[in-house]
Amino acid sequence: MTTVIREGWTTFKSIFTGMGVTIRHFFKPAVTELYPEEKVELPKGARAKLYVNIDDCIGCNLCARACPVNCIDIETVMATSDVDLGKTSTGNPKRFWLTQFDIDMAKCMYCDLCTFPCPTDCIYMVPEYEYSEFDRTNLVYHFSDLTPEKVDEVKEKAEKEAEEKKKERERKMKEKKAKAKDKAKSKPKPKPKPKQPDNKKDDEES
Amino acid sequence: MIESYGNINPVLAVLIHALIPLTIILVYALVAIWGERKVAGFIQDRLGPHRVGGWHGWAQSIADLLKLIQKEDIVPKDASRFLFKFAPFMMFAASYAAFAVLPFSSWYIGSMIDIGVFYLIAITSVLTLSVIMAGWASNNKWSLLGGMRSAAQLVSYEVPTIATVLTVIVVSGSLNLMTVTEMQSGNDILGFLPNWFIFQNPFLIIAFGIFFISILVESHRVPFDLPESESELVAGYQTEYSGMRWAMFMLAEYADMLLLSLLGVTLFFGGWNSPFGSFMSGPAWGFFWFLLKGFMLVFVMMWIRWTLPRYRVDQLMHICWGILIPATFVNLILVALWEVVF
Amino acid sequence: MEFTAILFYVFAILTIGSASIMVFSKNIVHSAFALMFTLIGVAAIYVLLYADFLAATQLLVYVGGILILILFGVMLTSQESAKLNFKTVTVNVVPASILSVTALVLLTYVFTTTQWASRNLETPQETVEILGTMLMSDYLLPFIIAGVLLLIAIIGSILMATRLNSKPTESN
Repeated sequence: MTTVIREGWTTFKSIFTGMGVTIRHFFKPAVTELYPEEKVELPKGARAKLYVNIDDCIGCNLCARACPVNCIDIETVMATSDVDLGKTSTGNPKRFWLTQFDIDMAKCMYCDLCTFPCPTDCIYMVPEYEYSEFDRTNLVYHFSDLTPEKVDEVKEKAEKEAEEKKKERERKMKEKKAKAKDKAKSKPKPKPKPKQPDNKKDDEES
Repeated sequence: MIESYGNINPVLAVLIHALIPLTIILVYALVAIWGERKVAGFIQDRLGPHRVGGWHGWAQSIADLLKLIQKEDIVPKDASRFLFKFAPFMMFAASYAAFAVLPFSSWYIGSMIDIGVFYLIAITSVLTLSVIMAGWASNNKWSLLGGMRSAAQLVSYEVPTIATVLTVIVVSGSLNLMTVTEMQSGNDILGFLPNWFIFQNPFLIIAFGIFFISILVESHRVPFDLPESESELVAGYQTEYSGMRWAMFMLAEYADMLLLSLLGVTLFFGGWNSPFGSFMSGPAWGFFWFLLKGFMLVFVMMWIRWTLPRYRVDQLMHICWGILIPATFVNLILVALWEVVF
Repeated sequence: MEFTAILFYVFAILTIGSASIMVFSKNIVHSAFALMFTLIGVAAIYVLLYADFLAATQLLVYVGGILILILFGVMLTSQESAKLNFKTVTVNVVPASILSVTALVLLTYVFTTTQWASRNLETPQETVEILGTMLMSDYLLPFIIAGVLLLIAIIGSILMATRLNSKPTESN
């Protein structure tokens, strides 16, 4: 009998304690965020969407190489000597036309590995998470700001210059050879300095 | 009462008279289903339905109803067709018929019959049968189990329900709920408390506790919702139902909740009497107070639902036969003694 | 036709129709549910006869109690039993026909010879109070005997249930 009363008392006490808890929560304001109207501010360092500040990109291809899933696709064309592409905000000289800079966000696995090797900090995550699409191809983001005509023009120019340079080199080679022949006949001349800049040099600078 | 409708066809007058509770039930069901979800939301620190209709999603139930009307009415291949289709309507008819003896205000009662509350208890026993009917006709093991559980728990808990009602009848001396309500008017206890039965006799507080537990079981509410316990029996006897037939079950369930809450209000909390004596009392205020008190009890039922977990079947039966029934009868004797002494 | 007369015929047809379904159905559960409609119809006819207490008792005891018991019995025994094939062909033709003809003759005799009191029913006042007073005064003995009988039945069922339960626990 006493146990029945004691157990009954415990039961009632716990029921009323529980109901006290629920009624307190009843009057608490809800923690719900009304999503489409109110948006949650993402925490610092949230990985939501990749963005490329194309003005700062020097086309070094480091991000593409760092990507574990190969979702970054970069195509660069050498700037011809008659154009000056200027400098990035960090002071690095730009030497390439970025004819293509595509990021496939459908492939991206948000590892954030691409952002660290960037010498100019131009690729980074932005707190933007509403980019679902009905078509998967729409998830490929094109960051290159060149029009297709411009791309063609740039490519043509670059090819021309490359050809000219090749000719030049061939010519020089010929000259060299001729001179070597001459030298073989007379005396040798000092070698010409290497003029062509390349990626490696950029990397070393940064 | 029917005379007060004036010079119209008596059959039409009866119809109008009978449609008043139906209107209340239908409007209440829409509000209560929305309210239940809001209460659940608030208790869980959420907002609940919030989109349809603007202010706090008030039109959610209407949208749900429109959805349910458009749904396909599926009858399982091996189901017993007639019984399957008939069960939800019988269930609602039984709860609706029971509203006939509830005095909504001093002006309105469906039927002034002497047997009042006895009729109410008798007609609600048809509910059990309709649940068994739905469970068996679905030809589904979950449905059948739900139906059997429902029958077991309803038949068992009819005993404490009737016995607690009897305790009140001992005090009031009348089965007619209108008379029972009229006996509770006035504010005489301790100078300010209304003359409600719950304040008149201390043992009636215990009786109300037992009555409340029993009506939770009778209306299949958590923590006693074993007939439709979704984690064990899919949806119990409602498993095979869809569309409007399922909506009828839902409607009947909510109507049953309101019915039993209103019965509790009539028996223990003074029915349509105003808590402030003659202030704010009258036929129209009667409706207001009666439904307000009923909604308060319905709210407590919802509050309990979102607080307590479900009982096991054997625990449920033990509570009934081992604790409630002996307690009710001892309490009945104590109430009678108190009435004799004071 | 009067409104109550229409109601009477509706409920009479309901009662007779469901009673015949109950008798002729081959499915026990269907029979049980048909019995429910019969009982409800009879209760409605009681109401039309101003016997509201009797009607409510009929509902509470037969529909809410006995019928559920029957359904429980049918359902707790195996599912196949609901589809049991009853013998619908007549067995024992001679005794059956003798019995039914005798019953028919007796009933017709009683029906024709009884002096049916035909008078207008007046609405009785306070049926419950009169009933209660009569049960507690004039019919006290039968009332108490019925109560004792039910008590004995309850004690007997508890005894049987505990005996059945105690056996396996002892063997364990």
